[in-house]
Amino acid sequence: MQKIVEVKNVEKIYGKADEKQFKALSDVNFEVQPGEFVGIMGASGSGKTTLLNILSTLDTPTSGSVKIAGQDITKLKTNEMADFRANKIGFIFQDFNLLENLTAYENIALPLALQNVSPKKIKPAVTAITEKLGLTEILNHYPTELSGGQKQRVAAARALVHEPSIVFGDEPTGALDSKSARALMDTMTKINQEDNVSILLVTHDPFSASYCDRILFIKDGEIGQELKKEDSSRGEFYQEILDSLGTFVE
Amino acid sequence: MLNKLALSGIRHRMRDYTVLFSGLIIASAIFYMFLSLAINKTFLSSNSPAAATAFIFGFGIILLAIITIVYINYANSFLLSMRQKEYGMFMMLGAKSSKISRMIFVETFAIGTISTLIGLAIGIIATKYVSQMVISALDMQVKHFDSFYLPALIWTFVFFILLFIFSAIRNSITLRRTKVLTLLHKDSQPAKIKRNGALKVIQAIIGIVFLAIGYYVMWYMGKNALFIYLGVPIALVTIVIGTYFTINAAITAVISMLKRNERFAQKGLNNFTLSQLSFRISDYTKILSMVSIMFALALGAITVGLGFQNQIDTVVNGQNYYDVAVHNADTAQKSRINHLSGDDQFNYSYKADDKGKVLYYRQSEFKKQPFHYEAFNMKSMIATTKKSSNIADPNVSYSMLQNMMPKYRMSQVKMVSDAEFDKIQAKTDTLTLVKTTSFKDNLSKIKAISKEESKRYPELKQAGGDKYSAYTLINGFFSGLEFMGFFLGIAFLAMLASCLMFKILSGANGDVKRYNMLHKIGTRQKMLRSTINKEIAVLFAVPAGLGIIHVLLGLQMFKGILYKPYTHIEIPFGIFIVLYLCYYFLTRYLYKKIVLK
Ligand SMILES: Nc1ncnc2c1ncn2[C@@H]1O[C@H](COP(=O)(O)OP(=O)(O)OP(=O)(O)O)[C@@H](O)[C@H]1O
Ligand SMILES: [Mg+2]
Repeated sequence: MQKIVEVKNVEKIYGKADEKQFKALSDVNFEVQPGEFVGIMGASGSGKTTLLNILSTLDTPTSGSVKIAGQDITKLKTNEMADFRANKIGFIFQDFNLLENLTAYENIALPLALQNVSPKKIKPAVTAITEKLGLTEILNHYPTELSGGQKQRVAAARALVHEPSIVFGDEPTGALDSKSARALMDTMTKINQEDNVSILLVTHDPFSASYCDRILFIKDGEIGQELKKEDSSRGEFYQEILDSLGTFVE
Repeated sequence: MLNKLALSGIRHRMRDYTVLFSGLIIASAIFYMFLSLAINKTFLSSNSPAAATAFIFGFGIILLAIITIVYINYANSFLLSMRQKEYGMFMMLGAKSSKISRMIFVETFAIGTISTLIGLAIGIIATKYVSQMVISALDMQVKHFDSFYLPALIWTFVFFILLFIFSAIRNSITLRRTKVLTLLHKDSQPAKIKRNGALKVIQAIIGIVFLAIGYYVMWYMGKNALFIYLGVPIALVTIVIGTYFTINAAITAVISMLKRNERFAQKGLNNFTLSQLSFRISDYTKILSMVSIMFALALGAITVGLGFQNQIDTVVNGQNYYDVAVHNADTAQKSRINHLSGDDQFNYSYKADDKGKVLYYRQSEFKKQPFHYEAFNMKSMIATTKKSSNIADPNVSYSMLQNMMPKYRMSQVKMVSDAEFDKIQAKTDTLTLVKTTSFKDNLSKIKAISKEESKRYPELKQAGGDKYSAYTLINGFFSGLEFMGFFLGIAFLAMLASCLMFKILSGANGDVKRYNMLHKIGTRQKMLRSTINKEIAVLFAVPAGLGIIHVLLGLQMFKGILYKPYTHIEIPFGIFIVLYLCYYFLTRYLYKKIVLK
């Protein structure tokens, strides 16, 4: 089967040739299979956001190749990158990033409108995803009228509504309390299992990470260790993550 | 340490500061330009005979001062919107609020003083060139106008410094009073929109009704000049109220109608643009209404000013039928006459008796070429062209004598047969009169002929009588009025458009995050740019559109005074639209610079 993400020998160096340079990623290799739920963990400054930005075409690697859904995204032109993000990728950010002047419904519909989906098809698509995420009640609210957890679920709905090949999350639970974080991760798992959506998320939080199938640990720009859930329960996996963090971080 | 941080903050935002500085410089330059004209008493009295001019200009100064205050206010909030996050950060890190408020005071005041000084220098230079340009473009005669006028310089400086001291005090108080958290999160707190449909409908109706009353009153004033004492205040009040409500309610209504239309709203970023607008409109209502009213006043000033210019032609043509009068034409003058377009020549010979009391003309020449003259009807104020071969008729001879040498102007005119004419013992003189296809098109050639005539007969210099001297006289009279109208109008427009620009730009800092997010979820740059263009276009078009309607209907008021208030209306409108468009393009350029990567 075709891999969703294929990262080969990716290197990222910040700073121009004549400036002070900093190697944020060196020789990163990994793959994500369709329907996989992958977590990326690592200390602050280890290069997680850098990696995610490259995967999502917001930034380009200095060398190496990145394939998403079979397409080499490092070779795209600016407009193609924008279209690629609009069609193939869903995003969830730590600080929600909803547009405050649009209602929840309008925020969720935005990616479809951007793709010029006909208005007739927009409504059923938005309804379907919001029902799944339990947002039906709050569709006409503006973001300022929502709680953090609700906002993040609206953001998740917006990331999913156009049925992307993969959803990226940069610490989506970072700004949530534990109850909301749990609700969000439950939702993500449900989407992942029922609809076979691939998810890749960066997190600091071992609890959120325990929902993943597989975890990549990144240290000083390199992937150092990999942890698989296999058949263990979430509690056992959580313990394993804590153990590896203990040994890995030193 | 803090000072250093603040300075580095300025360096990082050089672009925004450039915008701020250039805006303030423009403002003080314009204010100086206007004052150099408006408080120059010698200029005013020598260019306009009407006592009303000083009054009009006094009124203009007040209006411009009000606009300037509003303008500095917007520029200041642009500055604050730029700085508050940073100062909020310093405060969060433990900087004392008294220290912070002192810093913002110094910053505001320094920016104000520097930009005022530069603005004054530019104002002097600009006044020189703009006035030269306007004068030569419109062939005007303006006396006692000097681009450097000390009282204007001093007043502008004092006024602006006072404004900046006031703004500086206000900024430091604002920063001291506001909570750190509010400062830090200012951008992410959009004004909440009120969803009250019924109220909006009522407002929309009130707005349109008030506008209708205002327009009707202006139309009525055009017919009954005596009504203006009551009419002008009524029109002003109703139109101001009407404009405010129309913008507030009618525009919101249109936006929500468009939002409800799914086929339009759910396409691309349309919904986003509409929402941006509907959030903005309520915040913008005041400035948009102000801009549209002032816009109308400024445009009106120029249109009426130019209306007087158009009047010149009518008045001049009513003075004399013939464009050129030449006495005893020599070869040089003859060849000049032949170069005029459509030289319809009339040659009359005459003899004067020895005392010059009686002038004799040949009857046969008038039979062949009847004499044309303008008969002025005092009632309708319109001159009609008539022709006659009886030069002895007092009406006709009066017009004929105008063209003669000054010493003959009071003489008696007699028409005689060729035989009698030959018998008179005197020198035969000839008068050549020419009617061209257009006085205006031949102006420079006619001027040359008229100058030459004055050289050949120095007594003609002071006497006038020919069309060109009538033109110089009348043109001088109207030019003053027109020049003032132009200056008034352009100064207003530039100020207003800058106000609008700053209002829009101070929202830009809050938009950075929104556009960045749209970029992240895959919106093409081109699309982002086009939403910005659309949004700013609407914000510019609303006041311009209303303003133009105000002027078009407002001109009805001048029907009694101006011969045809709507002729050549495209000229002032064209000038305005070009200037205004420049501001639009500048604003959207700067906005994109701030908002997009
Ligand atoms: N634009 C940039 N220019 C230069 N260096 C950068 C840039 N962005 C990030 N870095 C550096 O690259 C390294 C990796 O940064 P990155 O943001 O990827 O870390 P992270 O793992 O996401 O950290 P955190 O968990 O704190 O979010 C850091 O040392 C950072 O200083
Ligand atoms: Mg990060």
